[in-house]
Amino acid sequence: MSIIQKLDTVKGTVPHYWPIGSFIHHNPLKGFEDLSFKDGLAKAKSIYGGKVYMDSSYFMSLFNEGKIDIELFEKNIAKVLEDKELDIPLEFAKKFLMEVSPKWSSLRIKFLSVQEEINDELYQHLQEQSIYNNEKAWLNNLLKHMTLYEINDALFGGDDKETVEKNIIEYISRFLDEDQTTLTMPNRELGMFEAFKLFENFNYEKDASSFVEDALEELHIKDVESYLTTHLLKLHGWAGFIKYRSEDENYLAQRRHPSTLIEYIAVRLYYELEVTKESKISNFTLLEEYINENLSDSILQLLKRKNILFGPALDALEANEKTCQVLSDHITNELNLDALQIQHSNDVLQSSLSLTELADILHILREEEGYIWLKSLEDSYIRTHVNEFTNPHNESDIQMQASATFCLDVRSEVIRRKIEQSGAYSTFGAGGFLGVPIAFVEFDKAHELFLAPATIKPQNVVFEIPKESHEEYSSKTGMNKTTKKVLNDLKNNPYTPYIMVEAIGWIFGINLFGRTFLPQKTNKLFSKLKPNKPKTTYTLDKLSIEEIEFYVKKLHTKIIESVLTDYSKKIYSESEIDIVRRHLIFNESLSVKVEAKILEKLSEFYHITASDYEYQKKKLAMVGFTLEEKVQYLHTYLNMIGQVNNFPKFVTIIGHGSVSDNNPFESALDCGACGGNISLPNTRTLCMIANTPAVREKIKEQGIFIPDETRFVPGFHITSTDEIKFYDTDILTVEEERAFTKIKEDFNKASSLARQERTKALPYTHSENDIFIKSMDWSETRPEWGLAKNMGVFAGPRSSTKHIELNNRLFLHSYDWNLDNENADILTRIFNGPLVVGEWINLEHYFSTVDNHVYGAGSKVYHNIVSKVGVFNGNYSDLKIGLPSQSVYLEGEAYHEPVRLLTYMEAPLRLVLKAVENSVAKPFILNEWIRPVVIDPEAKKVYSYENGDFVIIKELA
Amino acid sequence: MTLSILMLFLAAGVPYYLILEKAKINSKLIFVLSSLLLMSAIILSQYIPNEHNTVLLSISFASTVYTIYKASKTTNFYKLGYYLIFINAPFFLLFEGRGVMYSVSLLVSLLGIYLIGRFYEKNYASANYHYIRGITLSTPYIGTFLTIYLITLALYPPFPNSLYFLGYVLQVETSLAWYIVIITIFFGNFVLAMKVMRESLFGRPNANIHYVDLNLNEKLMHLGVIVLLLILSFNGLKEILL
Repeated sequence: MSIIQKLDTVKGTVPHYWPIGSFIHHNPLKGFEDLSFKDGLAKAKSIYGGKVYMDSSYFMSLFNEGKIDIELFEKNIAKVLEDKELDIPLEFAKKFLMEVSPKWSSLRIKFLSVQEEINDELYQHLQEQSIYNNEKAWLNNLLKHMTLYEINDALFGGDDKETVEKNIIEYISRFLDEDQTTLTMPNRELGMFEAFKLFENFNYEKDASSFVEDALEELHIKDVESYLTTHLLKLHGWAGFIKYRSEDENYLAQRRHPSTLIEYIAVRLYYELEVTKESKISNFTLLEEYINENLSDSILQLLKRKNILFGPALDALEANEKTCQVLSDHITNELNLDALQIQHSNDVLQSSLSLTELADILHILREEEGYIWLKSLEDSYIRTHVNEFTNPHNESDIQMQASATFCLDVRSEVIRRKIEQSGAYSTFGAGGFLGVPIAFVEFDKAHELFLAPATIKPQNVVFEIPKESHEEYSSKTGMNKTTKKVLNDLKNNPYTPYIMVEAIGWIFGINLFGRTFLPQKTNKLFSKLKPNKPKTTYTLDKLSIEEIEFYVKKLHTKIIESVLTDYSKKIYSESEIDIVRRHLIFNESLSVKVEAKILEKLSEFYHITASDYEYQKKKLAMVGFTLEEKVQYLHTYLNMIGQVNNFPKFVTIIGHGSVSDNNPFESALDCGACGGNISLPNTRTLCMIANTPAVREKIKEQGIFIPDETRFVPGFHITSTDEIKFYDTDILTVEEERAFTKIKEDFNKASSLARQERTKALPYTHSENDIFIKSMDWSETRPEWGLAKNMGVFAGPRSSTKHIELNNRLFLHSYDWNLDNENADILTRIFNGPLVVGEWINLEHYFSTVDNHVYGAGSKVYHNIVSKVGVFNGNYSDLKIGLPSQSVYLEGEAYHEPVRLLTYMEAPLRLVLKAVENSVAKPFILNEWIRPVVIDPEAKKVYSYENGDFVIIKELA
Repeated sequence: MTLSILMLFLAAGVPYYLILEKAKINSKLIFVLSSLLLMSAIILSQYIPNEHNTVLLSISFASTVYTIYKASKTTNFYKLGYYLIFINAPFFLLFEGRGVMYSVSLLVSLLGIYLIGRFYEKNYASANYHYIRGITLSTPYIGTFLTIYLITLALYPPFPNSLYFLGYVLQVETSLAWYIVIITIFFGNFVLAMKVMRESLFGRPNANIHYVDLNLNEKLMHLGVIVLLLILSFNGLKEILL
């Protein structure tokens, strides 16, 4: 197996990391989804070492709040006792989990300095069970996932790790920089490893994989896969980002400055070799020899490094006592404490079991308790929700004035409820990108944004173009750009900052003090300086072949003309330029005299080549939609949400995004299904398609009749302030505009009511105005709660959830199973898009909460933006993956309740089974990374998927 | 000269390096003994003229440098406490009359460290802080008090150690020896205090430990130490300003 293949087998342990500008929620343990949830978590714990469940004290507090049903808790304990063949009373296990386990660590440590009698038999038993009997195995366990330089540090007390990691971060952050620095690293186009050779000025003729092989040989590595994993885990944020880049061929920075995981490993190993060749132990054979001669000391030093050695042993080591005696004392101390922990547990439990039996049982219960508590919490919520969803409720039959379809997000639940309460309005929820994946090029921008889930590659490009004069906009934009450039130049010049601070420093003071003390007024002031974007429209129609040819020709001609003028200082005629173009692209003979180096420049640097010609044609062919595509997208969308008849006069489709200040994680608050961007372009595209007469004509043939007077109006929901803004209302007649104004007023009222409801959940927020201030306060670490507390998804008719206050905790996807076919195509689509994104969001929150240090990003307070791709702590650290603590914690306590995604589907079981079978989500559904619940209206039964089977949890009347 | 030798004996850890270290006596006892010896030196200096002798100062300074090295290797609060006494001994000798107040404030801040060591010993079986990280988050009261003591020892204003130190620095004539001693000891104190801060106050709390915070009586005791430090701070400030 080659080194690349070996790396491929282990790289799954590293989670993908998308650049922070388009933060995409993801399951950090995605690489473990082929295992069951329980097994995956156990494996991840053994690799990452972090927590994978909340502590039992956390669950106890939820139990005390009445969130965990005792009956379901007992049922789950009984299941574990049965599975593990534990012959103990249920009450005993329950008492242990509720009374002993929450104070487990205190039972151990608090007796450290108190002499108590230890039960000999128990001590003996614990000793036999422990790893301390086999010092070699113990040592290997301690050495797991340690690099040689870390081992050297631990054994001989150095700080090589600091040097190595600092060097690595310095190099990769500079190499991966995306225009944050003013002085960029040269030679990056050569690739990460080739540029590194020049950076470190070391002479190595072969490529990165050969270097890795040589380095591993020099280090005498026996288990290559394991050592590669060790290195990947050291800075798994950076490794995850490099992995993401290397697997996305469309990532511009990757195309410009290629990097791969093997090159990253090569850089790491280079620095490792550099420090270890100076160390006492320079390879693993020498390490083995050293350890054989100094086994006790090695174990003690490793325990010390890992913070497992208690004070008395540390004191003894400092006093240079004999290491074998120190180790022996340490083991005795550990076993004594373990024994005391069992003995004191028994004081509470009053068990008739022998202490040795008790020790074994408590060990199993401790291993299982996290899952028991988690499942009990989930089951409790499922029971409550199912009862509420299936509770008979009245449906009114009044004609709706308007409908509002919200881009799927938990944060639309409150506003939807408030809109429904404010008039004759019906609401729907539709999967994030509305089933319309587009590559969107915003007006005045040059790059395209993929507005679709990260797993889908859009095939249609949409350009935003102005439909009114934009001179004022252009002039203001130009002025702002010039001002920014001048300021940047002044800042980056070595001399000007000295006078700049004195001369114009006070101008920045306005911003500084204004945004600190008067954020609202300052925001208003600065918004006046921002240019107002002109009214725009989208390019939705396909270009003809002739048009495509014309545009590509025009582009190439312009470039050639500009290059020829710049480099040859001679004016070429149109026909001459065309001859040059045809020569470069079609390899036709060149009858015009042009210097060879200019031709080379045109083809090498400006890519005027046959392949680029084809590429440009292909790209332009992607612009817009064919009529069939438009009809298909609209048909799919309407069927997906079940809005196929009784269209009201106004059908609004509302995307979402968030507004906040000084927040690198802002895109985490935008639409996850749109690749961490706002979903307004998708809604505008869909509305424009739906308003096209030809589309309506064609869709009528497919059984969906949209009345001529019905208008589709796109809107935008700002989740941090709950404001709703509408776009493209210029298509409305004066009369329609008047009617729509009333609707806007009602929606504004609903926004206000939603804000009032949200003030109860947001900390330090007492009024609606506080919510607005949070969105513009640059010191605010929590502009909104975002998706925190998300717990589930409901796919079914709104009538089942309309009467329940779900407090922005469920994704509500509209779905009418009666419209689905026997192959469950609609449900499959929901599984493939919204469910996948929902699972990522849910598990990102889950793991960021259970262990923010390992899976989260830590506190925002210490974050600095690095290379414009992410954040790190202070001036160098690993790239922070996951969510910051402020997104899931409040004053040290978990705000987010980590549960798996409770996935309710109101549909016959046969359709759900079909959709599971057809869906890309099948592995994580069957491996229980979510909790599927089926409300089958046909069979009048409710099923829950547990232990590989759908079991009936409720019979409906 | 004899009196200067006596001062050196009492303040600069001579008994420790000659006898106590080899005798393997409990470090808590050494801390108490060393503090008592320094206290005796402070009292004695009130009755006898204290003029520093360059040779003795050099011996004391050598002891300081060695002790800084030793202190950088320990993670035990008691050991750190008596090492800090020895490290600061040249100040006591060099500052002459003003060294008394500096040493008093040093002793008061070390009383705080002693109380923290005793607390650790009671709750974690040893005054060793190496494995008890992240106390700012886990046990905020003890974290706060320890921060104050360490900042005081690191010679940060407005705490008394820094004020007496500053008062002396501003008012005496300098020499090369003076510069070397002052700078070495200043950075010695600073670096050691920062090292303890980094290794105990910050970092991720140890999951193997059940963290315990101060009870009411303990809080009151520490509050008493803080009050003493405040009184000394006012006095130190007065000395600088007047």
